[in-house]
Amino acid sequence: MTTTDTTVADSTAVATRTGPLTVARRLLARHYLVVVLVALCVAVGLARPSFWGTGNLSNVLFQASFVGLAACGMTLLISAGLLDLSVGGVIAVSSIAVATVLPHTTIGAAIALALLIGAGLGLLNGLLVTYVRIAPFIATLGTLYLFLGLAFIWTSGKVVPITSSNYRATTTGTLGWVPVPFLVLVVLAFVTYLVLQRTYFGRTLRAFGSNERAAELAGLPVARVKVGVFVVAGICFALAGVFMAGRLSSAEGNMAMGFEMNVIAAVVVGGTALRGGRATTFGTVVGAVLFAVLANALNLLAVASYWQYVLTGTVLVAAVALGARRSAAAEVRGAG
Amino acid sequence: MSDTTATRLVADERARSAERARQADSRRRVLQNAGVLIPFLLVLVAGLAFVPHFASGSNVTNVLVNAAILAIVGYGMTLVIAVRGIDLSVGSSQALAACVAAAAVNAAGPLVGAVVGVAVGAALGLVNGVLVTRLRVPGFVATLSTMSVFRGLVLLFTGGAPIMIASTSFKSAATTSVLGVPVPFLVALVLGAVAWFVLDRMRFGKHVVAVGGAPEAAVDTGISVDRVLLLAYLVAGAAAGVGGVLLASQLGVVNGSVASGLELQAIAIVVLGGTSMAGGRPRIIGTFIAALLLSMINSGLNLLNVPSFYQYVALGGLLVFALSIDGAQRAAVRRMLEGRHS
Repeated sequence: MTTTDTTVADSTAVATRTGPLTVARRLLARHYLVVVLVALCVAVGLARPSFWGTGNLSNVLFQASFVGLAACGMTLLISAGLLDLSVGGVIAVSSIAVATVLPHTTIGAAIALALLIGAGLGLLNGLLVTYVRIAPFIATLGTLYLFLGLAFIWTSGKVVPITSSNYRATTTGTLGWVPVPFLVLVVLAFVTYLVLQRTYFGRTLRAFGSNERAAELAGLPVARVKVGVFVVAGICFALAGVFMAGRLSSAEGNMAMGFEMNVIAAVVVGGTALRGGRATTFGTVVGAVLFAVLANALNLLAVASYWQYVLTGTVLVAAVALGARRSAAAEVRGAG
Repeated sequence: MSDTTATRLVADERARSAERARQADSRRRVLQNAGVLIPFLLVLVAGLAFVPHFASGSNVTNVLVNAAILAIVGYGMTLVIAVRGIDLSVGSSQALAACVAAAAVNAAGPLVGAVVGVAVGAALGLVNGVLVTRLRVPGFVATLSTMSVFRGLVLLFTGGAPIMIASTSFKSAATTSVLGVPVPFLVALVLGAVAWFVLDRMRFGKHVVAVGGAPEAAVDTGISVDRVLLLAYLVAGAAAGVGGVLLASQLGVVNGSVASGLELQAIAIVVLGGTSMAGGRPRIIGTFIAALLLSMINSGLNLLNVPSFYQYVALGGLLVFALSIDGAQRAAVRRMLEGRHS
């Protein structure tokens, strides 16, 4: 009993001896994004106190959850060294499906249909990348326009309204001031984390994300998992579409134009390396919230909305450049 | 005795492998040419047979001008893809170049406007090149980001409003014809000839092939890979700038959202033209023919009153088809080179 006590005391002593400063620095290096987020929130709050209003906060979380839901799927893809640019197309088609069938079926059935469509479109992407062997970003750029085309043809370019007030209430409800989609995002992010770190599927993903040839030689089912991850990502995108349609209470072809940019930016800024093999789901959620706060700040400060394009692109490129620099340094040290 | 047998065996083996390489090359060429020529002829015949007014003077001019703008952007994209890069920002670059050129034409005359437009395109290409070579950002992420940034800049520049071009001489540049051929098409022909000459006959072209074919080997032979990459992105930007000036001249009114989705069209024609996504094989002539093909498809669908959304689907389908051909061709070559080895 006493011995354990002393060892505990010893170890804490050792920990303090390595210095709270070092620990703090390590924590800061690891979670610098959280620090940036907090600093940004404080700064925006000082400049515009209305930022802290519950209405505004829940608005920010709504925006963050749409990007975040899609970004969970994108995190899986990027950790496997893949990419999907067809996010906007998948969201459009699945939301339009919801809006079209809602007058005739239950809410659950409509959502199930949307997720099924997301899975189907993801399957198409996966097959093109895995078996036709087209580079992921080109294949999904092609299917982006394919899906958008399908969405426009389906609706003849019109807006499909969602008339069911129950659907709107379900998808845009809040618990206190925290929106339901954000709670779903938290759950989905946790599931994504578990899938990535604790399952065979996730291990295979990360294995071929860091070295595809080695994973194949090790006998991992690379082709099957590759198709699978596109399907899972498609379901995540469709889920984002389900909530987006509820928030807009309508669906149309160009409801999520350019959305892929925000999603990829959230994932990469969150700290997931573009070259694959490694992912942080927590970082992805923080990244999504960060961009939502940034967009909200621009709105509150009455900056022209076009600046958002400039800012998102710049932040993405800066994050990747910083990541490239850091990994290059790691390689030099022989730690990469 | 045994020595001569050994040399003979080696010589035999060498001859056989040379023969295999030759066959693989001819097989590749057949697939590449078939990949673009057969669809081209099919669409041409189908257009002439089924589409009313397809061969009318105004439609032919329209097809040629659109094809010219597309082809010029395609030349730049050919170069970038040949060095294993990609430029997703061409649409936004073209829009920014077109809008700045339009404003410059109104402020300082047609010639200055044209020069400014091309310079803006080149500067944007330089930004991409620096991001890729100096900051080590992968090409598609760098240009995906700049696609968004440039689009934001052009919308800020125009404030979301269209810019009317007052100068009639600038507007007539794209619509006048010399000997029945529209001026932009002549520009595309000349630039294509220059691009072909540079890539096929000059040292820079050999460097492009080396960098695209095997970057590590290119480094080892002392080629400055970064310089070649930087130049490739710069040229792609400048090509988008030329396309932007011609577009401004053709439309007469430009706004911040012109040329969205151009990157997909450019990639589609480049790959369809036989430039391999694996790098090292630029084919300017193929790009040129594929630009004509895509322009004919678009105008045919327009003349048939097909809703414009179907053009998205056609384009996506065309791209997937082109990429499948590219993949099949690479697989065929690999089989030729490896398959009969045992």
